[in-house]
Amino acid sequence: VLNLHRQIPLTWVCLAKLMPHLGEQKRTAVSLFRKLTTTSNGEGLEELPLIGSKKHVQELKCRADLVHCLPEKQRLSVDGGPLTLEKVVCSLLHMGFSDAHINELLSIQPHASPQQLLDVISEFILLGVNPEPVYVALKKSPQLLKMPVGQIKKRSSYLRKLGLGEGKLKRVLHSCPEIFTMRQRDIDDVIQVLKEKCLFTMQQVTEILHRCPNVLQGNPSELEYKFQYAYFRMGIKHVDIVRTEFLKYSLTKIKQRHIYLERLGRYQTPDKKGQTQIANPLLKDILRVPEAEFLAKTACSSAEEFVVFKKLLAREEEEEPESSTSTEEEEEEEGEEEELC
Amino acid sequence: MAAPIVRSVRELMRLVDFALVPRRHRHKKKWAATEPKFPATQLALQNFDMTYSVQFEDLWPSIRVSLLSEQKYGALVNNFADWDCVSARLEQLNAKDFVSEAISHWELEAQSGHSAAPSPAYSPNLRCFTFARGDVSRFPPSRLGSLGVMDYYLMDAASLLPVLALGLHPGDTVLDLCAAPGGKTLALLQTLCCGNLAANDLSTSRTGRLQKVLQSYVPQDIREKNQVRVTSWDGRKWGELEGDTYDRVLVDVPCTTDRHSLYEEENNIFQRSRKKERQMLPMLQVQLLAAGLLATRPGGHVVYSTCSLSHLQNEYVVQGTIELLANQYSIRVQVEDLSHFRKLFMDTFCFFQSCQVGELVLPNLMANFGPMYFCKLHRLT
Repeated sequence: VLNLHRQIPLTWVCLAKLMPHLGEQKRTAVSLFRKLTTTSNGEGLEELPLIGSKKHVQELKCRADLVHCLPEKQRLSVDGGPLTLEKVVCSLLHMGFSDAHINELLSIQPHASPQQLLDVISEFILLGVNPEPVYVALKKSPQLLKMPVGQIKKRSSYLRKLGLGEGKLKRVLHSCPEIFTMRQRDIDDVIQVLKEKCLFTMQQVTEILHRCPNVLQGNPSELEYKFQYAYFRMGIKHVDIVRTEFLKYSLTKIKQRHIYLERLGRYQTPDKKGQTQIANPLLKDILRVPEAEFLAKTACSSAEEFVVFKKLLAREEEEEPESSTSTEEEEEEEGEEEELC
Repeated sequence: MAAPIVRSVRELMRLVDFALVPRRHRHKKKWAATEPKFPATQLALQNFDMTYSVQFEDLWPSIRVSLLSEQKYGALVNNFADWDCVSARLEQLNAKDFVSEAISHWELEAQSGHSAAPSPAYSPNLRCFTFARGDVSRFPPSRLGSLGVMDYYLMDAASLLPVLALGLHPGDTVLDLCAAPGGKTLALLQTLCCGNLAANDLSTSRTGRLQKVLQSYVPQDIREKNQVRVTSWDGRKWGELEGDTYDRVLVDVPCTTDRHSLYEEENNIFQRSRKKERQMLPMLQVQLLAAGLLATRPGGHVVYSTCSLSHLQNEYVVQGTIELLANQYSIRVQVEDLSHFRKLFMDTFCFFQSCQVGELVLPNLMANFGPMYFCKLHRLT
């Protein structure tokens, strides 16, 4: 292992010295190739002219084949050692990784063979993910490198089926790399809850997975409760739950901000007709903004009061009997308004 | 043999039942669908939103969220128990006696000559522990102390302010016109100044609770020596019963109990069926305050207090009663300025800055006490 470590800097320094220009060229080429793959699903054909002339495109395709073929060739070479390492580094440079990144990638799992690393990475590159997010994802969850390539392939084709095509996968991989390592059953559970319990359409489910991939990490029953909280307690419709990325926020944060506003008298649950007596603030001004801005603009309250409120609310939730899963609908509606005394 | 008889009796009963309601009045009762049912707490909140948002404007949201969140308590140390031991235990919890803190703070300022304020007249011997601003800790429930009485009484710390403002002197004859459930009455006894205390409340069930509190906090000999008299009379008639008698009178009137009305459904004053009663509250309050003033000897003091935020039940009642006494009884009553009091306890409570007469403690999340309105009146003639 020690030997290996000493060799890495040497190899990439040599490579960099030998062909600095070449490397750069290739990097641009690969980035163009990426665009090509993202557009190749037919939806974004209009982006093609940006890439350049047809001839150029063809050239790029050849290079793409090269990238594709490289690992296969290498797989044939039997033993590891400096030769394979060099080749791996070379092809990683080829794909558009920077030297520093390659160095880091190789040190994530010193025990795994560089071949495995290359296989996994090229699988992601082929899925249309940029080198940068791939690097971040691998750094975040090194267990990805241990995955058999076959399983990654299987999972990615499944994700495609779900509608998470090339462009969308980047974001998913970025915030939830576990989507490749988690059990199929867990993914199915989440999707089933979204589809059957929360009654989202399949299109909406895809959109949710794309925009808030962290729903996959959570407990499905908690996800259902979160949906019910949004739908019954806050009066948000399906479309808006998807649009505002509601499901990506933690239930604690949602409750803290919503209940605070409600008790301040700045948020009302809409009635059956969707009407409220006051204009509710926009969801993005409640959840998407940082706390300071939420307090200053939406709640118009002080930070110290909110700190106390959060403590009190946590204690309330803790002491509440276990009946909170049932929805508490029907807030105030127009009643007879009487003057006080 | 028995069965047919029972059946025929039942038949008969049904006939009788029918016969009681004339046919023209008989109708099938409508189901709930047409008659929306609002919980009284909801009605209370709607009512507050309507009136208080106008009354307090920008302050209302902060008051609202505080009313709807858990309130803070103060621990009134029982002077009849082992009080220094109890105080030490409460200090260990990181609580502070807000009364002595405020007084020592004031004395420091007076020594350094910063404030030329007159020495605030406050009832002595009261020790009430509270947690600092923003600290949401709770006190453990009170325990039976070594002397056979409970060691402290948990109450809204703001409820102590009317008693403090009353400014008792040793040997005073004191009347608590609406005494139950007993927190303020107990505080009056804790001053160790009551030569004679009359505690009254209209409802016997409530005076029962008062008795219980006194029994568990005050030793029997003191109850007898102090001549604590608990009665269940109509407070409005006190002026006729015992006119010009008392040195100090506390008139803690029935009100909309704002905080309580927001979470307790039972017996809520905002129930539809109690609408009339609610609308008559300010009238009742004026009558009680007038009776309290009439029972005071000339030169004596009265503190009027409510736990409502409503001007209609606070300032207007005070002003109305002063007018009433001047016109009907030719009795002159003066409102005492309590702004020094406000300054004194500013660190513990959040006061409303623009009361015309009296002082109002606003609930605030940092110091979630109150609401508590109190106004000190001086009977001149």
